[in-house]
Amino acid sequence: MPPLDDVLLVTLPVLLAAFVLLDRHLVRACSLFVLFALAVALTWWKLGFLWLAMLETLLGAALTGGFLFHALGVGLAGRAPTARLAHARDPVPLIWRRGLVHLLPVLALLGMLAAALGSLPASDGSLAARWSGLVLIGLGLWAFALHTHLLRRLLAFNITGTGIFLLLMSLVGKTAPAAGQGLVITGLVVALLGTALGALLVRRLGALVPSREPASASDGQAS
Amino acid sequence: MSQAWLPLITLATSLLVAPLILLLPERAWRARAALNLSAALLKLLLVGLMVVGLYQGREFAFGFTVVPGVEFLLRVDALGMMFAGLSSLLWLATTVYAIGYLEDSPNRKRFFAFFSLCVASTIGISLAGNLFTFLLFYELLTLSTYPLVVHRGHPAGLAAGTVYLRYTLSGGLVLLLGVVGLHALVGDVTFGEREMLRDLDPSYHPLLIGLFLVMLLGLGVKAALVPLHGWLPRAMVAPAPVSALLHAVAVVKAGAFGIVRLVYDVYGIQLTFELGLLTVLTVLSVFTILYGSIRALAQQELKPRLAYSTISQVSYIVLGISLFGPFGTIAGLAHLMHQGLMKVTLFYCAGNYAEELGIHRIDELDGAGRRMPLTSLAFTVGALGMIGLPPVAGFISKWYLGLGAVQAGMPWVIGVLVASSLLNAAYFLPILHRLWFRAGPAHGKGQWPEERCLGRFETSGWLLWPSLATALFSLLAGLLAGLPFSPLDLATLVATEEYLP
Amino acid sequence: MIERLGLVTTQLPTTGSSVMALLVVVLPLLLGVLGAACRPKRGWPAVLASLLALLPLLTLTPLVVSQGTQAWVLELDGLTLHWRANGLTLLLLLLTQLLVLASAAYAPAYLRVAVQAQGRGPAWLWPLMGLLAASLSLIWLAADLLTLYIGLELMGLSAVGLMLLPGREDALAAGMRYLLLALIGSLAFLLGLALLLGAWGRLDLAGLAEAVEAGPVLWVAMALLSAGLLLKAAAFPLHAWLAPVHGSAWTPVSALHAALVIKASFFIALQLWLVFAPQAAVAAWVVGGMGAAAVVWGGLLAWRADKLKDVVAWSTVSQLGYLLIGFPLLIGTAPAVASIAWDGVWLQLLAHSLAKAAMFLAVGNLMLATGESRVSGLAGASRRFPLALLSFGIAAISLVGLPPSAGFTAKWLLLHAALAAGQWPWLLVLAVGTLLSAAYVFRVFRYSFVEDVELEDYRPVPLRMDLIALILALASLLLGLAATWPLALLEIAGGGP
Repeated sequence: MPPLDDVLLVTLPVLLAAFVLLDRHLVRACSLFVLFALAVALTWWKLGFLWLAMLETLLGAALTGGFLFHALGVGLAGRAPTARLAHARDPVPLIWRRGLVHLLPVLALLGMLAAALGSLPASDGSLAARWSGLVLIGLGLWAFALHTHLLRRLLAFNITGTGIFLLLMSLVGKTAPAAGQGLVITGLVVALLGTALGALLVRRLGALVPSREPASASDGQAS
Repeated sequence: MSQAWLPLITLATSLLVAPLILLLPERAWRARAALNLSAALLKLLLVGLMVVGLYQGREFAFGFTVVPGVEFLLRVDALGMMFAGLSSLLWLATTVYAIGYLEDSPNRKRFFAFFSLCVASTIGISLAGNLFTFLLFYELLTLSTYPLVVHRGHPAGLAAGTVYLRYTLSGGLVLLLGVVGLHALVGDVTFGEREMLRDLDPSYHPLLIGLFLVMLLGLGVKAALVPLHGWLPRAMVAPAPVSALLHAVAVVKAGAFGIVRLVYDVYGIQLTFELGLLTVLTVLSVFTILYGSIRALAQQELKPRLAYSTISQVSYIVLGISLFGPFGTIAGLAHLMHQGLMKVTLFYCAGNYAEELGIHRIDELDGAGRRMPLTSLAFTVGALGMIGLPPVAGFISKWYLGLGAVQAGMPWVIGVLVASSLLNAAYFLPILHRLWFRAGPAHGKGQWPEERCLGRFETSGWLLWPSLATALFSLLAGLLAGLPFSPLDLATLVATEEYLP
Repeated sequence: MIERLGLVTTQLPTTGSSVMALLVVVLPLLLGVLGAACRPKRGWPAVLASLLALLPLLTLTPLVVSQGTQAWVLELDGLTLHWRANGLTLLLLLLTQLLVLASAAYAPAYLRVAVQAQGRGPAWLWPLMGLLAASLSLIWLAADLLTLYIGLELMGLSAVGLMLLPGREDALAAGMRYLLLALIGSLAFLLGLALLLGAWGRLDLAGLAEAVEAGPVLWVAMALLSAGLLLKAAAFPLHAWLAPVHGSAWTPVSALHAALVIKASFFIALQLWLVFAPQAAVAAWVVGGMGAAAVVWGGLLAWRADKLKDVVAWSTVSQLGYLLIGFPLLIGTAPAVASIAWDGVWLQLLAHSLAKAAMFLAVGNLMLATGESRVSGLAGASRRFPLALLSFGIAAISLVGLPPSAGFTAKWLLLHAALAAGQWPWLLVLAVGTLLSAAYVFRVFRYSFVEDVELEDYRPVPLRMDLIALILALASLLLGLAATWPLALLEIAGGGP
């Protein structure tokens, strides 16, 4: 029976991620994402990767969050135009049947991953991180395939990425920490840059097409 | 060292003229004409040098490796020299003709640039020393003739260009597959190294037959063997010098020449005979000869009639090489030259009629002999040669074809020859009759469709002199067939090489 | 095969020239910094800066030619990065620098004529281009997965950034889609890396090649890595993002993207397959099948495309199919076959890069001159813009694979390899691809030869822009007969000279 704080640290990001991905109110979702990033930073700290915890706080929570809010037009002082906030809600409702259909490929991928991981033994401490990583990957991919709102896709991408980082560090934590950290740091920077680019784009697109819903790309067949 | 570079320089004369022409401004037609003509003359001189060198037994070869196992090789041999001589001679004539024909028309710069490229490709084809190099220039020919076919840019021309490309590019692709297949089997085959295939184990023979047929399919498109001939009559919409060149030397001959190379220099006549492939060629060519002639009979316009006549006449070459024996070979190769000279004359004349009098249909030709006597004379010489009357060159071809048929033990071919000659007469003699013996506008009856007085003579001198020159050459090739350097003499040289090892 | 990639564990790393290797990567960045600082209005400063980036190559080349593969190990706080340079690396580096040089020389004139300083876009062009060149150099040099990952991500992001520069709505929408797909591709790649690192605890390719053993971990990892890379390379079922992205991008950017960015993903994928699964013939056939589908489908779409740039972009999808056919010819085949296919694949890559860059530049010139982006808008172009059309034509010869172009020589080698391996289907695919490419290329020509159109207003483009396209096109043409030179460079693979 693992200690309670371990369980909490592993389940907290997963829960937060689920809330982030299911919330149609985008400002709330972004705020939850910042919380999620902080929770992940805590997990890193608990796993003993101090550097990663700091970077996650800085890059994941602060900067990524900042860019996400920028995309929504929410400034530091919160003096955002209300019209924009009205848009800050995904107009596409969640249809459960669609959600279930999109779950199938994700489950297939997770099954593949699990089959591969089955042959890699895990130490006790990393098992929990591995599972939460897998769940985050699944959740993120599912949401990425499901949502058409660009910002929600960015959120989903970030959560998938975090899941992969967790999985990666749970796999290599002891054997090759330097290489693993190198990959994760690169990944964090890439995720930040990608999110930043995406956020700026969402903003620009919104400014260019004021009449249409700023960030809908339903014509795009991206999945 | 000059010997290795001679083929390269010959190729370069027309290859380098193309960019030079592109650099000249569109208006500078004098400079362009001077450039074209001097390059054509230079090339004729160089080819002459190589022919003389060849008779003296010198070797000219230039080569380098492209990728390991594949060589780019230019080499001079008697067969290639026949083709090179023909193309450089006709290039000169056609250049003169084209300068006159295209006077004051747009896009002349583009025309002459691609025209030079086209001739460079035919020279490359004739100098190619192996299948790879041959293929290279064979495809380059397709590319360089397309802009010439669509030159006028009207819908009919564009449609003809599309059809032309469909046929020739598919043909080139099929040829490529065959050549690569042969390369994968035995490596680089230098022309003349017949032992490479002959010494293969008989178990490879079915494969060899397959590859031969594939390559024949590729080459047959350009040689316009029935049923691969569909592009040729449509390409008639091209300007007259282009049609003349396409039919006499460039495209059609490239295909026929390729078949000759394939039979004599890659497989060797002996192996081709043993594999039973000569019979395939005979049947194909006989069918094409008769089919082309019959279709020619049905044409009401001058150029399409000449086009179908080409389809028929080019197959004489294939027929000649398919007759096993030196006489057949001589006939096929000599006809390669003879047909070029005669057909180019006919096309020049057709162009003259169209330019001077606006005549396109045969029934408009009544009495044109009076209005344009010299052109009509040239036309008559060409037509009689096509029928095979002595002393024009065509007679020599048919005579040797007959001898070859007897030698190969296929006397029924003579029947085909007779039938085809009758058909030739049936579609050419009415034209001659109209030209000389029917009263027409020149006799004060009716009027020409669109008369323009282009020059001091019956038409512009640029148009007239080339027609007369080639007509004269077709006469001389027949009259002086026994002299050295005549087409017949060169053909005999090749045949001796082939049959007397 | 692994020796051909220059991945050898036994060789002692040479340290003397590691500065050179770093310079190869860093100097392109200098181009970016200088460009951003000066915003060159003329071509020559940009050309000078890109020429500077060629200098370290000039010292590196004789070193590799005389001593064989060079390898470097960079220690970074517990991390070891492995770099290497062999003949192939040099070839790709040279290609990259030359194309960047061409784009850099083209860009100032293009920006002046076509963009007219709208927005902040032009300022970002130079740093992003420098970053792109640097990340590409990093990819060619990398001999470990971490460096590859860094290079791939930098390349992807700078490519997305470059595509977004026009700032118009269609560019942004297409760019957003590209960004999301690129990010997904990176995630798949990272997940694959995670599995490899977790299972065998190292990231250097040469070491991994010895360590890996077949099993579910390897297969899943390879599937993930390949999926990510093929997505970025616009391989067949994952290609839909390509044409919209190119449709609105700036011409020099399109040229760089189609010529290099896509190739980099292909290069990494092929390298990983050769290292980790050199005998996986069945899986390679699957990739080859995707390539075949790409050849046909891309060709059909290019044929049907309405816009000029779409024709060129779809043709990239089709041509990449040829490269993917290299997989079944290289993997699990006899050494003799693989050796021919090896030459064929890289020659095809070179040929296509040069020809496609030339074609994009030529098409850009034509669009600029006619003010039309549709194929039918080219009517009469052959008289008015002969130079641009000539460049297009010469590049097209190489794309179709007609002699004497490099595309032809490459196709010859691929056909030969397919015949030697007895893999008949690829013959058919190459044949169909040739016909299709001829169809879409000559469709463009057909319109350009139309004569009876009125002289509308058109503006000639600066001669320099035409000349750059022409030079690239000629390079792809002449490389066909001069193929021995790059192929000889390819031979420098293993330890000794």
